[in-house]
Amino acid sequence: MFLTFTVLGLVLGAVYAIAASGLVLTYNTSGIFNFAHGAQAMIGAFTFYQLQVVWGVPTLLAVAIVLGILGPLMGYLLHRFIMGGLRDTAEVTKIVVTVAILLGFVSLSHWVWSPQDARMVRMFFGADSYVSIGGVVIRYHEIICLVAAAGIAIGLRLLFTKSRMGVVMRGAVDDPDLLRLNGHDPERVAAIAWAMGSTLAVLAGILITPVGGGALEANALTLLVIDAFAAALFGRLRSIPRTFVGAVVLGMASTYLVAYAPSNWTWVTNLRDALPMILLFVVLLVLPQDRLRGAAVRTRERYEVPTVRRAAMWGVVLVVATVAFRQLIDDSSVGTLILGLTFAISALSLTLLTGYAGELNLAPISFGAIATLVAFHTGITGQGLDARMSLTGLVLGVLAAAITGALVALPALRLRGLYLALATLAFGGIVSSMVLRETQPRSWFGHEFALFPQGTIIVWPLKVGPLDLGDQDVFLYTAATIFAVLGVGVIALRNSGYGRRLAAMKDSPAAAVMLGQRLVRLKLSVFMISTAIAGLGGILMSMALSSVTSDHFVYTLSLSLVMLTVVGGIGYVSGALFGGLIAGAGFSLIVGTFNELGSAHPEHASTFSIISHLILVAVALVGVGVAHNPSGNMSSIFAGHRFLAGAPEVRYAAIGVTVVLYGLAYAGVIGTWTFGILVAVLWMALPALGLWLRAERLLPPEALAARRGVPLELVGVDVPYPDGFGGQLDRTLGLPARARRATPTIPAQAQAPSEEGESHVRV
Amino acid sequence: MSASDILLETHEVVVRFGGNTAVDRVGIDVRTGTVTGLIGPNGAGKTTLFNCITGMQRPDAGRIVFAGEDITRLAPGSRARMGMARTFQRLELFLSLSVRDNIRVAGDIVRANTGRRIDVEAETDRVLELTGLTDIAHRDVSDVPTGRARVVEVARALMTQPRLLLLDEPASGQTEQETERFAELLRGLADDGLAVCLVEHDLPLVMGLCSRIHVLDHGALIASGTPAEIQESPAVIEAYIGTEVVA
Repeated sequence: MFLTFTVLGLVLGAVYAIAASGLVLTYNTSGIFNFAHGAQAMIGAFTFYQLQVVWGVPTLLAVAIVLGILGPLMGYLLHRFIMGGLRDTAEVTKIVVTVAILLGFVSLSHWVWSPQDARMVRMFFGADSYVSIGGVVIRYHEIICLVAAAGIAIGLRLLFTKSRMGVVMRGAVDDPDLLRLNGHDPERVAAIAWAMGSTLAVLAGILITPVGGGALEANALTLLVIDAFAAALFGRLRSIPRTFVGAVVLGMASTYLVAYAPSNWTWVTNLRDALPMILLFVVLLVLPQDRLRGAAVRTRERYEVPTVRRAAMWGVVLVVATVAFRQLIDDSSVGTLILGLTFAISALSLTLLTGYAGELNLAPISFGAIATLVAFHTGITGQGLDARMSLTGLVLGVLAAAITGALVALPALRLRGLYLALATLAFGGIVSSMVLRETQPRSWFGHEFALFPQGTIIVWPLKVGPLDLGDQDVFLYTAATIFAVLGVGVIALRNSGYGRRLAAMKDSPAAAVMLGQRLVRLKLSVFMISTAIAGLGGILMSMALSSVTSDHFVYTLSLSLVMLTVVGGIGYVSGALFGGLIAGAGFSLIVGTFNELGSAHPEHASTFSIISHLILVAVALVGVGVAHNPSGNMSSIFAGHRFLAGAPEVRYAAIGVTVVLYGLAYAGVIGTWTFGILVAVLWMALPALGLWLRAERLLPPEALAARRGVPLELVGVDVPYPDGFGGQLDRTLGLPARARRATPTIPAQAQAPSEEGESHVRV
Repeated sequence: MSASDILLETHEVVVRFGGNTAVDRVGIDVRTGTVTGLIGPNGAGKTTLFNCITGMQRPDAGRIVFAGEDITRLAPGSRARMGMARTFQRLELFLSLSVRDNIRVAGDIVRANTGRRIDVEAETDRVLELTGLTDIAHRDVSDVPTGRARVVEVARALMTQPRLLLLDEPASGQTEQETERFAELLRGLADDGLAVCLVEHDLPLVMGLCSRIHVLDHGALIASGTPAEIQESPAVIEAYIGTEVVA
């Protein structure tokens, strides 16, 4: 028996190794850790299924199509259109773009291959073709896995050590400019690496499904990236041979675990699913600390930090706007809006952690799950419909999230941000595959109870003194107020010495350390504050949902939230509001609307269904767009509105129009949708509108002169000498700035190189 | 401490990269109240030695003693908290902060990480004044030209009230006038009791500013002494001019 299990473990390890080596390959040639690696494997496996099983294409031809065309093409296209544009962006942006691709692939596969249908993939040559060596049965499919892995190991080894291409590949991340000087094209090298990595992912995808039982399942395959990552960690994401060792250890461990664990340990299958993730934490613990290296390279992300006063003003605006908007919508929509706001609170945790401190948490919703469970077990008081959540439960839940955050982060804190991001993703996996599957009672610290009874819990709304969130309107206004208060708090934190230290750590860890900053302590504290906020958001989300199942904490939800917050602008509280509202309310609103349309017009139902699927995929495309605008939408909107500072009357007019539109909507003359769209369009188009109406007050003198065809030196001669020209001249000449006044400049102008010398920033 | 106390010493420090010995049994010292120069041709091992002193590189052999304590195995942050501060050859400014906040945050860090109570606001203003940065205090640090950005790094280091200030090629990217003002600033700091050690290529600056100079070549220390002694040293002349050029 032992030998049989060893062979099974080896085979599983071989497939992990194939997946992991692809990951290492792309990471080392492009510097991008591909979170969509498992999703690519998934697309490969489903395409193979479609060809072989559904369309009856001969197996060999199907394999050739998938490995020879789909794999390389997918990798090449990803590089050509997306990854190639990611140079000079922060690690966060790179991660989010690959996360967006992951989400896009998942929604694409759900669309084409409905997750409700069961699909089986058979082994190559069937399960009955085997050889028997000394009583150990080895199927042909398993031999293929082993041979493929060995071939890939040898091939990659030769490529990297013997071939010119391989040597160039190793240099592609470290110094692309040097490569270019030597006559190589780093982009071409990266494109080839992506094509190879993607093909390896696809190969792993079609091999692993039959090994794991044959059921084709999109989520499991997508999470193959974590297994591959755990294996790659053994080689510190660099060494292919050690990656193979790691993969084999992983494969053996999970096989032996199932084989030899006592049969009364019911949670062993759950543990097996979570094993790569747990092993990942163990490896993180023993990894040596990263060497401190200077790395203050200018990235394209730019965020402005508002003053606390300004933030407080906007906080009030938000609460008032929420109250006003409530009057326009019917009672059934209030719940959706509350849900959006609770997601926005979770997203605030990312503003602090990612926007200000430069670290990443890919599982904010999973921390919300932990907080929810603790609050559920400690805070529910009363019976029947009068049951409520107590403040104690809420506080304990938030504390539990913070403590869990510390435990998750500790192993990864000594290491680079990528490792923390992966540790959080692995944590999300553990919560889904172990914690949320604890649906049966078991003895915990001497008490008999189930962590997640029957897989559905009712989280009653909070009641503190006279404040009862059982009332929908009260809940809505409370959620808006909590978001506003936390948002102002986060901005106040950023403006404090603590926040400056976070910025220092994010911009240059090396310099912060050499000033005496203890990085681990700072990272730990900010991670705990952040997970506490995520915990609060999670509990509120559960209250808004009331009846909560494990589907509400699925990892893709966390990923969507992270992605949309980055799209909105991770450095801004408003970015969190944007991301939260879209992730929490926008999706269900859009899908719901199209479903309603579909049932109202049955003859077009399929069209509406396609549109709603398209929107889900399109959202991922929006995430990919982060590559082009890494500071987020809010940043662009703010830049546009700062530009309006010279003509405040434009804004007053816009406020007036908004109020009038509100009046019309309130009176029922226009619908709520019309109102929302008109207001959004008005405010987004305002900078352009202002430019059209008030160009002479907004544009700097050069631009105005250029518009009128007057050369700069004749400004003041042929055309009137405008206000603000003096300041403009001062800046160009590098003279000390005078007292700040509202000098209208367009952003690009403000960054014009000064004549004192070249800027020190390396672009 | 009097002006001639040895604050930092390296003993027989060795660093090997593969088969290549980058630093070969080097012993130098830096004294309180003086400016010490560390010079040598490209690839002499200056920066590697510098990294050993700041803790960013662990030596393969030898000891480093700072303020009477063996710090060879101490982490960079601990050395900083003992009173060591440095600037970076490839500038490491906090690009999302203004010039003033770049300096202020160093005070925030000291307050949060050591027991020292400093008045961050007042100290920031004093350092800005001292280093002559007040006029650009509110600028974005990413818009500051290289020459003055180097001064911002020095100002930031001074906020930690160090005993030893290590400067990695502080004059590169500075104009002649900027270098002059910079030398003036360093001289003043040394007179107030700070130990300054700089790695520099600008020989006139080093000769004019430093009271002691250590010369490295191919990883080995080939001369130590006053500027006059260094200029006379045959070993130094050979290292800089080379022997292949046969007359």
